[in-house]
Amino acid sequence: MHSIPCNFSVFGYPVISSSMKEIKVKDASTLCTLLPDGEPHIQQSVFVGEEQRSSSISVKSTPELEKKYVHCVYDAIAPHFSSTRFAKWPKVSAFLESLPTGSLILDAGCGNGKYLGLNSSCYFIGCDISAPLIKICADKGHEVLVADAVNLPYRTNFGDAAISIAVLHHLSTENRRKKAIEELVRVIKKGGLVLITVWAVEQEDKSLLTKWTPLTEKYVEEWIGPGSPRVRGPSAFTLESIPETEENGLGGHTKDSRENTENMHQSMCLTPENKDDSLVSKDGSNQQEYFVPWHLPYHRAEVSGASAGALANGLAKKDDKKGAVVYNRYYHVFGEGELERLVSGMDNAVIIDKFYDKSNWCIILEKTLLGLKHLQDKDTSPSLI
Amino acid sequence: MRLLTHNILSSNIKGVTNGFPLGIEVEKVVEKQVEINHDFLRNIFPKIDWKAFSDASKIMGYVELPEEAPEPSVLDSDLDFLRKFHHALLELHLEEGALVCPQTGRKFPVNKGIPNMLLHEDEV
Repeated sequence: MHSIPCNFSVFGYPVISSSMKEIKVKDASTLCTLLPDGEPHIQQSVFVGEEQRSSSISVKSTPELEKKYVHCVYDAIAPHFSSTRFAKWPKVSAFLESLPTGSLILDAGCGNGKYLGLNSSCYFIGCDISAPLIKICADKGHEVLVADAVNLPYRTNFGDAAISIAVLHHLSTENRRKKAIEELVRVIKKGGLVLITVWAVEQEDKSLLTKWTPLTEKYVEEWIGPGSPRVRGPSAFTLESIPETEENGLGGHTKDSRENTENMHQSMCLTPENKDDSLVSKDGSNQQEYFVPWHLPYHRAEVSGASAGALANGLAKKDDKKGAVVYNRYYHVFGEGELERLVSGMDNAVIIDKFYDKSNWCIILEKTLLGLKHLQDKDTSPSLI
Repeated sequence: MRLLTHNILSSNIKGVTNGFPLGIEVEKVVEKQVEINHDFLRNIFPKIDWKAFSDASKIMGYVELPEEAPEPSVLDSDLDFLRKFHHALLELHLEEGALVCPQTGRKFPVNKGIPNMLLHEDEV
């Protein structure tokens, strides 16, 4: 498998060189103040000859795509996002209520802390990569920290259960998604349970899927399939703003954060040809990578202050008609069986339940072996299933 | 940050083989009362690394914990111990300060009670 270096840009050609300099900055927050020359483009080019990076890019290293289209966005929209996140998904509530009294529950990617404390007989520790969201949790009295779901700062085998609710679909490579699942299992005790939910390709409201903006070309490391690195020509696709109708952030779980659109920009929708494990969604395409818009009302944008930088950088656009700053959030939506496939290679977890509910794929895992750094003292007791 | 959280946290910097327990630098400690949950305390007690917990509580200014972990049955028989355990575990908050990787010395800041455990690019 070929890797490409991390020093590529989401933006178009005119800014390649400036972006390459900026990538060296360690602090992800500075990425929100990049100054590209033009419209945000999906960068097509692969830099040839940087193959030595393949082993040095850690799966724990955050790709540019996530920094710009997940981290920056959530940081900018945190209070508004939190205000729309109050409806508790019955399946998650049921899972949490089913856990034994006095359990220690770890919520990785807890967002605004919606599920923290849901079971009053249990104790929750939440973490999220977004400091503004974690601040919102802390203000409510929850025990939380800022951390990365791909590299949890927790001791092995400590927790009783873990949840990952609508988190993994923001990870842009399969290896990172796998790693995040391994982390969830690692940090809980043998016999402990993990609940994972992710957005599904198979949306109950099919029209929604077609209204998101597909990423038409993949430039993340593992999407470049085996063979020589490919240098694509200057055929960048432009993400134009999608005129949208209402902000539908209220209501039940399915509606959370999904924006209805009036007219979908006719972006060219190429089927990725080099994804070995591509899944075919019900509409026949292999498309699983999307930008899903978030409308941040102007008055909210002014309060947060982050939007001025984002607008200058092309990370967000103004929609005067709606009086909102429009951000795009990156999603890798999951196909049927994909979660199971990610888990299939794990030797310390078994699937005890899997289901589809309200446009989400869900899975419950049970940890079966003690997590060990070295396999000398392998637990030989039989699996609990 | 409560000492329960301190007891689960470990430095995950690349190359660190023993990142637990994190050192604690105290700038501000706050006490906040919370109801005792006996089931939780019974469940969590065996998980706690007692030495790390006892050392940390001293750093936070609380010296009432025994040096050695008592037998678990003490949780049911000794109400005084239960209260002390509860207090140190859940009612002491490190509001401002830092957590320190025991191997590298790298400091993870704690502000407004929130630890920031995010690593820099060169630490992953």
